[in-house]
Amino acid sequence: MNGRKLAYYPGCPSAGTAMDQDMSTRAVFEKLGIELAEVEDWNCCGAAEAENPILVYALNARTLAIAEKEGLDIVTPCSICYYNLERSNIALKEDEGLRAKMKEIDSSLDYRGGIKARHILDVFINEIGIDELKSKIVKKVNIKVAPYYGCYIGRPPTTAFDDPDDPILMDQLIELIGGECVDFSYMKTKCCGGPLMMTRADIAFEMAKKVLEAAKRAGADCIALACPLCGMMLDAKQPDIEKALNIEIGMPVIYITQLLGLALGIDSKKLGLDKAAVDTKEIVGKVV
Amino acid sequence: MPIKTWELDPNFRNEIMNEPGGEHLASCFQCSTCTLGCPITEIVPSYNPRKIIQMSLLGMREEVLSNPDLWICLICQTCTARCPQDVVVSDVLGAIRRIAEKEEEEGKLKIESPRPLFDKAFLHQLEKYGRLYDIGLAKEYYPKKEGSFIKGMRAMMKDYKDFGMRMFKKGKMGPKAILPEKIKRTGEVKKIFEKIGD
Repeated sequence: MNGRKLAYYPGCPSAGTAMDQDMSTRAVFEKLGIELAEVEDWNCCGAAEAENPILVYALNARTLAIAEKEGLDIVTPCSICYYNLERSNIALKEDEGLRAKMKEIDSSLDYRGGIKARHILDVFINEIGIDELKSKIVKKVNIKVAPYYGCYIGRPPTTAFDDPDDPILMDQLIELIGGECVDFSYMKTKCCGGPLMMTRADIAFEMAKKVLEAAKRAGADCIALACPLCGMMLDAKQPDIEKALNIEIGMPVIYITQLLGLALGIDSKKLGLDKAAVDTKEIVGKVV
Repeated sequence: MPIKTWELDPNFRNEIMNEPGGEHLASCFQCSTCTLGCPITEIVPSYNPRKIIQMSLLGMREEVLSNPDLWICLICQTCTARCPQDVVVSDVLGAIRRIAEKEEEEGKLKIESPRPLFDKAFLHQLEKYGRLYDIGLAKEYYPKKEGSFIKGMRAMMKDYKDFGMRMFKKGKMGPKAILPEKIKRTGEVKKIFEKIGD
């Protein structure tokens, strides 16, 4: 991290279904005194839908090149964006031929491999660090949390920055803010089903149900997560899942940036906590 | 049913390995770790990535490319993370899917899953705007999936009426989400699609 400034890549859902994640990310970094400079004219990373790796590299070379001109590492709150940005970064850094190929497509893809892409969780723990975070915490978020990591934090190995089977970075943050992690290890890294939402909703709903029910069984007050697609599946779609599968869940789902923001004393509205589909008032009420 | 050896395509493995992402197919030694840890297999027991890989290595081209299970992979990377042979199973399956899509474009195969339509509709938004435009995506995807505009709109309403209202009430479906968020230099992204395709 170059001083106290990072390039910020909000990702496409930041304008809609994950605007609460975007709001809370910006608010938390502001409170921590780290400037987020949004990558000028950034484009979509290709998400899970661009299956051709060369296309993914090209799409992300453009964004990486823009941030590289500013000499700033990129931070993103979205796990899928992180995966695509960083795997492109690695591929481009290692392969001169690939870089030349990108430049041939368009001069805007002339990325030289001078920066890194990072996920917010990685920046919180490994860059800012527990000690600094601790010194800025003013409130206790006294709740039981099911820490849900999903796919691209502990895997694939090329871009992972936490353990593939039992990741701990989010657990550390939850404990830091005075929360308690419920026993959720076996479910932490299971996929939420999001990528099949539009083509096989039946399977996607079954997968999301497993995560939601496991959190409920473990006695969690809420699920904490760090990916907008997981957020859409588990929160925004939760009433649809309840209706389709004839079950009752009512499990609040909160971005880790929102929880951290509460502990930093940021107003819950500024963190977008009123935007969740499943009511979060009870959680906010437990902040002391 | 026994394999008809005379129908095998010995070149199929090379076809996959020449596709970006498919390079490590031949490293597989059939241990089945990919399948045992797969969250889809838990729900759809017939889903078996190990088998898809072995059939590919044997050259069962037609059976592999027409296998509907190709389209229910989540790309969650669990198999990739656990594979002891670094086959990069998620990417190998992606390479196979792209070969199937090419076959369909050439009229040699009919893919029943709507997933290729969805992926294309998604990428068309990026090509046009540089970012994802959810409404544009739904407007392209649903009619194609359902076979007509009217049927598509009806299916979209069924899936998204409650969801849309919910998002609207929570302020997540404001003007920012209703209109596409277009980047300034769309030409640069268009060039990527022109030169690489989707």
